[in-house]
Amino acid sequence: MLHNISNMLELRNVSKRFTGIVAVDDVSFSARAGEITGYLGPNGSGKSTTMKMITGLMELTSGEILFGGERIQSDLIAYKQRMGYVPEEPHLYAHLSGLEYLVMVGQLRNLPAKSTAERIDGLLRLLSLHGNRHVPISAYSKGMRQKVLLSAAMLHNPDLILLDEPFSGLDVSTALVLRSLIQELAGRGKVVLFSSHELETVERVCSRVVILHHGKIVADDWIERLRTLMALPTLESIFSQLAVEQDTAAISREIADLILG
Amino acid sequence: MVDLELLSPQGDMSKLLGQFAALLILISSLLGLAALGLGDSRMPRVALLISAWGFEHSLIATTMLVVGLFAVLSWDSTFPDRRDVLVLGPLPVRARTLFLAKVAASATALSFTVVALNAFTGLTFPLALAPASTSLPDLILSPVLYRSLAAYWITMVLAGAFIFCCVLGVQGFAAQLLPRRGFLRLSAFLQMAAFGLFLSVYFLQPSLATPKGLMAPENQGLLAWLPSYWFLGLFQELNGSMHAAMVPLAGRAWVGLAVAGFGTAVAYVLSYFRTLRKIAEEPDILPGFRGLNWLPRFGNSLETAVVQFSVRTLLRSRQHRVMLAFYLGIGLAIVIFLLKGGVAREEHFADQANTRLMFSSFVIMCVWVVGTRVVFSMPLALRANWIFRVTQVRGVGEYLAAIRRPLFVLAVAPVWLASAVLFLSIWGWRPAAGHLVVLGLWGMMLAYLSLQGFQKIPFTCSYLPGKSFFHMAFLAAVGLLLGLRKGVELERRALDDPVSYAKMLGILGIAVALARWRAVALGKSEDAIVQFEEVPPPAVLVLGLQRDGVLPNSARGQGSAGRLQ
Repeated sequence: MLHNISNMLELRNVSKRFTGIVAVDDVSFSARAGEITGYLGPNGSGKSTTMKMITGLMELTSGEILFGGERIQSDLIAYKQRMGYVPEEPHLYAHLSGLEYLVMVGQLRNLPAKSTAERIDGLLRLLSLHGNRHVPISAYSKGMRQKVLLSAAMLHNPDLILLDEPFSGLDVSTALVLRSLIQELAGRGKVVLFSSHELETVERVCSRVVILHHGKIVADDWIERLRTLMALPTLESIFSQLAVEQDTAAISREIADLILG
Repeated sequence: MVDLELLSPQGDMSKLLGQFAALLILISSLLGLAALGLGDSRMPRVALLISAWGFEHSLIATTMLVVGLFAVLSWDSTFPDRRDVLVLGPLPVRARTLFLAKVAASATALSFTVVALNAFTGLTFPLALAPASTSLPDLILSPVLYRSLAAYWITMVLAGAFIFCCVLGVQGFAAQLLPRRGFLRLSAFLQMAAFGLFLSVYFLQPSLATPKGLMAPENQGLLAWLPSYWFLGLFQELNGSMHAAMVPLAGRAWVGLAVAGFGTAVAYVLSYFRTLRKIAEEPDILPGFRGLNWLPRFGNSLETAVVQFSVRTLLRSRQHRVMLAFYLGIGLAIVIFLLKGGVAREEHFADQANTRLMFSSFVIMCVWVVGTRVVFSMPLALRANWIFRVTQVRGVGEYLAAIRRPLFVLAVAPVWLASAVLFLSIWGWRPAAGHLVVLGLWGMMLAYLSLQGFQKIPFTCSYLPGKSFFHMAFLAAVGLLLGLRKGVELERRALDDPVSYAKMLGILGIAVALARWRAVALGKSEDAIVQFEEVPPPAVLVLGLQRDGVLPNSARGQGSAGRLQ
């Protein structure tokens, strides 16, 4: 199957070291247009660090990241114009209203004012934020803030969409909408890479997964192939085998014993 | 001039408190030395005490001013806020415990301020009031000295407590009477109004501390509204040196204390039992007006985004407004001091320029531009700056051009417009227009100079504590004011001479053009970046020293950063 590299994200031997700590160790994978790639790993495995390197927020220690066959560092501006990002933590300027925030994002991205205003209005309505668009973000629930982040990430019709824990805080109906949206975007030729702890959702939405453990890739394949290769029925069981070191049942017994005496 | 560590989360609080205490002790030591020179050792004691009224009044007024400003600056911390409720609410901490902790913290801070400010005067002033003929051993054993000491300290603590209680009382009752959102909106204005009121009263109150002044019928109305004189009377009462003129004043002090103390206690108690629940439901950040969030464009979309963000942040962040108010307060104090005796004695303004008023407009422009520039350095929601980094889709030069704009919009323009309204209404149009052109150019030059090396979107870059050079900034400010005074005199003469005026405008215009050119050139240089993180100074600095004038091999290719071999 020939892949159109004009819309392919590729990581080659990417590493990130902090003082004394290797957060990401020689990671290589690719995410292709039309596919939804899940990026999984336990807490502290290096997922968010990888995401930040892909967005350009963090520098690589070694390796390279390419999009459309070009190193992203060679023209970061052009890359950022094509990239949309939803961070893990919804850090927003809480003193701005939802509408003000999205208008500001549109201005920062140099989008035409009139069409952007229509797009913002549409997104706010579809994500049930229109009634609260003038309310400061400080009054928003976590799910509402997540919707603002999603809107900001998609406002400029990016080719690459990076989602770090996008379902966090979303109510059931919005999560269903987002799940369908991710599939729709991939179907329309976008590159979608998202990391999540919700393995059931990942299993339903993603075609391929990359599993990270202690900064290294331990699996990078289609979900179906992984099930067959490992003879395990679910992604959760695959994940547990590859990335979970603890005996969860034993730990939960010990915690209960400690608290309950 | 403000040590910004006050508001920096990484700031060393003990160092800051030390600096604050040192400043107050310095003021106290200077006043303490002045106290030693009070009166004449040959004066009868009664005459000595009366002659000291003026000085005593100034000490009381200064204490009340400092405590008042402290109360205003700590406005947000004396009553419970959302963080207190959300963090402590789920824990088994009683509201009473929270209440007592806040009271204890407030009382400690108040005491610390009063003690630091009166550390020296608290000793020297009572000593100065002691009978001069007394020998040292007799003086040490004299109950008169100890009574004076006790009277002094009790008066100062009570005067400070009175002002503190008044501020808390106003805040507390406003919080009770208004809906939470209304209170949050009004709170900022009350804070700044209190700031201005304390400074104005301190500098503008007349000197009435003489028997004649205090007993004059025409002054009684005024004395009823000046608490510093009430506590002067209280001191005399406690010191056993009561004069007939002081009797009503001392009475007012006690009544004022009772009313302020009772009112504050009621407001405090109500705030804990009525508003704690409401606080959790309301945002603490000043809410924007629904639908009234329109702002005009300020150039291209990037410039508009940066300016609108800066305007909204400054208007909605109480922390930043307080900081700016501090600088404006300094300017206001200087202006009031300048205009206090000046304006009324000058000739009327029709077609005449008034030097003091001109100077005041320059001072306000200075403090506003410098204060706003300082405030821009303090981040708000630092971690939210990722959106600016991820959406950096234009060249650095465009960003740096956009970054310059908010200072003009938020500082230069408002001061210039307000000055235009003032000068055009009180002067003839020629001198007014002439001065406004000079003021505008001065403001622009100041803004460009303030922005030298500033490569940050306002409120989005981290701030490293310990970078404020308080002493250097203070000296620079003093030098600037002296230079300004000279400049204003030149302008005053130039307004009457078209040739001189044209020369002055030419010089200023060239200075502005050069400052702008430099700013633009720096923005286009290869080293230009948009900064989101303050880089700490390197732990090891390369001195680049060479031996015998010979560059080391490694330095020849690396330039000045080369290492010694």
